[in-house]
Amino acid sequence: MSDKDLQKTENVAVTEKIRNVKTFIPRVDIYETKEALFLIADMPGVDEATVDVELEKNILKISGRVENGKVKDYNLVLSEYDVGDYERTFTLSDEIDRDKIRATVKQGVLRLELPKAEKVKPKKIAINAA
Amino acid sequence: MKIKNLLPEVARRVRADNDHPFYSLQKEMNGVFDNFFRGFDVAPRGFTKGLGTFSPSIDVKENDKEFIIRAELPGVEEKDIDVTVTNDLVTIRGEKKEEKEDKDKNYYYMERTYGSFCRAIPLEAEIESGKAEARFKNGILDIKIPKSQSAKAKGTKVSIETV
Repeated sequence: MSDKDLQKTENVAVTEKIRNVKTFIPRVDIYETKEALFLIADMPGVDEATVDVELEKNILKISGRVENGKVKDYNLVLSEYDVGDYERTFTLSDEIDRDKIRATVKQGVLRLELPKAEKVKPKKIAINAA
Repeated sequence: MKIKNLLPEVARRVRADNDHPFYSLQKEMNGVFDNFFRGFDVAPRGFTKGLGTFSPSIDVKENDKEFIIRAELPGVEEKDIDVTVTNDLVTIRGEKKEEKEDKDKNYYYMERTYGSFCRAIPLEAEIESGKAEARFKNGILDIKIPKSQSAKAKGTKVSIETV
């Protein structure tokens, strides 16, 4: 009975890696408010220097490297997780204002704010009494 | 020539360890029960995980001098983590809080989990609880605890003289 990697799912589909480490699919929350879409990804071990967010055409790719994750010269007594990189891609619609995407990293959590384009924001139409 | 000698090297070695077949059977049965009961420690954790609460994954490593405990706590605030150490037990307690800033939000994906957690890690050797150090960086908690002198002494090496 192994519940290893319940928090992390290994990404086996990643092609041709240069670094000899496992790659995991980070768990994400995506939610929408009136103004924007928010994407929050759990990537323990990454900081602002080792996380990358790329946007090419309409593919948004988030990736992170975990440096110094391995401890050498110690015996493993209990192991519930593996150390490795993170990678996940998402498809964006045209409704996102691409120039205003903001990303922050705090305590191993990547937070992306994807503001909606003006044209798709919900508008309330004022009704005049005639 | 015995049939045993025809077996590959590995098979012969195994038989040599527990020579009597009943002994090896008993050993195997003990192992089955041990693993079964050990399973109970794990099961509630896996079960609650299914219900969407957070429980950190933990790695424990040791060398002659110390233990290193690492826990993945992404998104947990430093002030929400509580580490207590007794002679042979380390307890990590805390809460991963869901952010409440945005009031009306519609979820598309909800894969991350939140909630309070408590993990108790029994260690096999006595530790110096007063000298434990903990660091928290990028969502990874690192606890270093030196083993006590008596625990270190248990493994005294006996030198063998050649006669």
